[in-house]
Amino acid sequence: MTSVFESTAPENSQPDVVEAAMRPFRPASRQFWIAIALLTLVVVIGIAAWIYQLQNGMGVAGYTDRSFWSIYISDVVAIIGVSYGGAVVSAILLLTGASWRAPLVRLSEGMALVTVMVGALLVIPHLGRPDRLINMVLHANTASPVFWDMVAIIIYTFATLVFFLLPLVPDTATLLDSHPDELGRGRRFLFRFISRGWVGSTEQRRVLHSAMIVVAIVIIPLAVSVHSVLAWAFALVSRPGWHESIWAPYFVIAALYSGVALVILVAAGFRRGYHLEAFITTMHFVRLGFIMAALGAVYVYLTFADLLPSAYVGEAGPNEVIYGTLFGGVAVWFWLFVVAGTILPIVLIALPWTRNIWGIVIAAVLVVIAMWIKRLIMVIETSGYSRLTNSFGDLFQFTWVSAAVTLSAVAAIPLLLMLLFRVVPLLSIAEVQHLTGDTDDPVAEVSSPGKASHGRAAGTAGAVILLMVALGAVGATQAQPAYAASDPAVLRAGAADPTVNVTAVADGLENTLTATVTSSGKPVEGALVSFYESTTMFAPGDNLVPLGAVQTDATGTAEVTYEAAVTGPRTISATYLPTVLGDPVTGTATLDVTEAVSHYAPPPPRALASVGRTLVFSLFGLVIIVFIILIAQVVRVRRACRPALNESVEHVSLT
Amino acid sequence: MTSLSGSGKRHGPRVDLGLTPVGAEANPLGAEVNLGITPAGEELDMSRRKLLRGLGLAGVAAAGGALGLVAYRDEAQAAPVEGASGQDHQWCRVVDLRACKGERKCVSACQERHGLPPEQTWMRTLSWHDETGEEFFMPVMCQMCQNPPCLNVCPVSATTKTEQGVILVDQDLCIGSRACMAACPYEARYFNWNAPAPTNRMPEPSPNTPEFPTNQIGTVGKCVLCADRIPYSNDLPACVEACPRGAHFIGDLVTDIAVNGQSTVKLSTFLREGNAVRFKEELGTNPRCYYIPGNGQTVGGPLEGVQ
Ligand code: SF4
Ligand code: SF4
Repeated sequence: MTSVFESTAPENSQPDVVEAAMRPFRPASRQFWIAIALLTLVVVIGIAAWIYQLQNGMGVAGYTDRSFWSIYISDVVAIIGVSYGGAVVSAILLLTGASWRAPLVRLSEGMALVTVMVGALLVIPHLGRPDRLINMVLHANTASPVFWDMVAIIIYTFATLVFFLLPLVPDTATLLDSHPDELGRGRRFLFRFISRGWVGSTEQRRVLHSAMIVVAIVIIPLAVSVHSVLAWAFALVSRPGWHESIWAPYFVIAALYSGVALVILVAAGFRRGYHLEAFITTMHFVRLGFIMAALGAVYVYLTFADLLPSAYVGEAGPNEVIYGTLFGGVAVWFWLFVVAGTILPIVLIALPWTRNIWGIVIAAVLVVIAMWIKRLIMVIETSGYSRLTNSFGDLFQFTWVSAAVTLSAVAAIPLLLMLLFRVVPLLSIAEVQHLTGDTDDPVAEVSSPGKASHGRAAGTAGAVILLMVALGAVGATQAQPAYAASDPAVLRAGAADPTVNVTAVADGLENTLTATVTSSGKPVEGALVSFYESTTMFAPGDNLVPLGAVQTDATGTAEVTYEAAVTGPRTISATYLPTVLGDPVTGTATLDVTEAVSHYAPPPPRALASVGRTLVFSLFGLVIIVFIILIAQVVRVRRACRPALNESVEHVSLT
Repeated sequence: MTSLSGSGKRHGPRVDLGLTPVGAEANPLGAEVNLGITPAGEELDMSRRKLLRGLGLAGVAAAGGALGLVAYRDEAQAAPVEGASGQDHQWCRVVDLRACKGERKCVSACQERHGLPPEQTWMRTLSWHDETGEEFFMPVMCQMCQNPPCLNVCPVSATTKTEQGVILVDQDLCIGSRACMAACPYEARYFNWNAPAPTNRMPEPSPNTPEFPTNQIGTVGKCVLCADRIPYSNDLPACVEACPRGAHFIGDLVTDIAVNGQSTVKLSTFLREGNAVRFKEELGTNPRCYYIPGNGQTVGGPLEGVQ
């Protein structure tokens, strides 16, 4: 082993990143374990509360029919949202070549991974029947936004995992090399597994870098998709306040805004806990703070843009919901969000004398909390509005159950992060070394082939995606349930006798029923004759359907025409009331209708129905492609490591 | 009202998207797939290219498989009904607002028949006062939308539409996501929030079919048009039977007949002569519930004073 690893030995004034990365692996302080114990307690209480909720119904969490969606779904949106912060710091800054991100990447990627998993788990208390979750797969309805929520979360979680694991390959190799004994057996085993075959050759580093670029390119649209689909779970229903075209980008910006805030908090926490001041400096906080403030400004703008159109047009529902937000039931919370969630943080970052670590951390705390509140009011305000009575029901009320479950999710994030970074290094050693000039520049060396290669990968992905969309378009079937209208009808009439004689003549669809009323052999003029056809519908026996009432003319004849709706034998009857209180006189005729036409025509499909189908098929194609691209990156890195396993000496000598 | 037969005709000319409906063409296309991996560089690309191409082809194959599997669940859109098809019956209801005086007998009959707790009113009667102080009533229940938003968003296809146009919820599939409650514009759906679940209130033995569901904790329920009584030849829906004024009609669009337990009418004539309207027509839900106004009610209700 003559490669880069030797140069990692501390030899100058640069902070020793390997030493710093080893800190969490040494025996922890008592405070650490106390914190772990407390957080675990909160998590356990939350799980107990959830079990209580399972047994007693979601009513115990404060849910009612006028708060059918509330705290848990806002928790899901807020917590999966912060996960995006990990993506932005890591992926966007990686792609834009912002190398100052180096000490933050592992922390933010770990945060992204942990939060997306905690957020996804919170869907479970949100469901009335979590025991049937498997139906989401077995009976999936691909037209449902909730189904695509699940797909997007799964694929995003997978991408986050790949993004987190790939850079661990060189780092674990470095630590195995430098501190083999201090790692402990468990970590040694894990690190050997992750880094097997890695010798740090130029080729390996080039492949790894290129793979990371591809994953970064993929993870950004994936994160956008997750928050968009979450937004569409709301926006695809016609409720005032939710049915807004702006909601998807609104959610994405909200996710970025709160996510960067949480990156700041995580960085501050671990910086303090493991004394990383030498790596994570005020500069990092200030830059993250600027990003956060800019996103905050965009969020304020989008909030205004969300409210104005519906407030301006006087439609009842949207107007009431906006009025409720600004001045009604949740107004206190809304204005608290405006002040504490947007104005204060932006001011704290803008003013030079609060633009320090403390000021920025306070701003981040405010943002994280206020953004959660904002999500909650967006959910409960609309869900509390009944579109039937055009009024608000009782808005959501906290109970100890929903509070405990929410707190438990909040506690789970630092808990899992603290445990995670006792297992894997919390600094991206390779990147920090590269940043501080500790090692030769693998990226600069190989940048052009690397770029060519990921350019090609991206091109391939693009081509395949286009192809899938085309396939989807072609495959879009327009199968409709086959409702066949009945055929034209001809009515054939029989004859009947007593004082009212009925005849029926068919002429195409027009059936003419004629009744002749005679009294003592003479025609009766001006008699009101009611015509009926019998049906077996809605009754065990015959049920008479009125066809109209007509007065007889001078010849004692009354006539109606009608179209039969269904074929089959029936009785036609004509009834005449000689006196108001007397018995009706009825004549009947048996008919066998062989052809008829129904007024019913099945509704045509919606104009855009087939587009939805195409979209669904294309999306499936996309999902599969993204999985393939991600897996291919892991395979690439593993393959690059494989020759080294067998012929490591030879290979290293080449570098 | 509006044309009975052509509720969809108002959509105007249909957009022809020029999509070829098909199945077979997918395969030839699949075979032509060229992933376009033209190696610009040289080094070690042979094996990687093979690998990528292998993965790509596997992906296209998998995608093709998935396309076949997830056929958009047509059966949820037209669930078969035993004994009769969609060509025999298309059920609907008519509410004659002229007759309704707010006795709410339909509400209690429905709750009793389906073992519902007081807060669950599959059938409910709204009321409001106009400027002169006169009170109006409007019974509202699941409108049996033919383009049901609730069905579209259900992630597990627990909500289905039968061939005869009845929207039902399978209590054994429902995962309680409440997406349908969010989607229903008529607030017709109710969740079983609390235990002990309303289950125990059901008369035993309950068949627990979508047509006559047993309420379970954590699932969604709504008016089922008393579909277990179809074809309604012996019993009419409980609300129809209960109304002393004959305000509720159950009808069949195919045979063009409706009854309220007291009289029988020719449906199309009745709707035309009563100037029937549908609730929230503008939402495109294509509901199967017709209201006959006539006492000056605003269908859909005024903005204020509705209970
Ligand atoms: S009224 Fe509501 S529950 Fe009934 S079919 Fe329409 S959307 Fe579904
Ligand atoms: S049809 Fe049956 S379920 Fe529906 S409201 Fe009437 S009684 Fe209730």
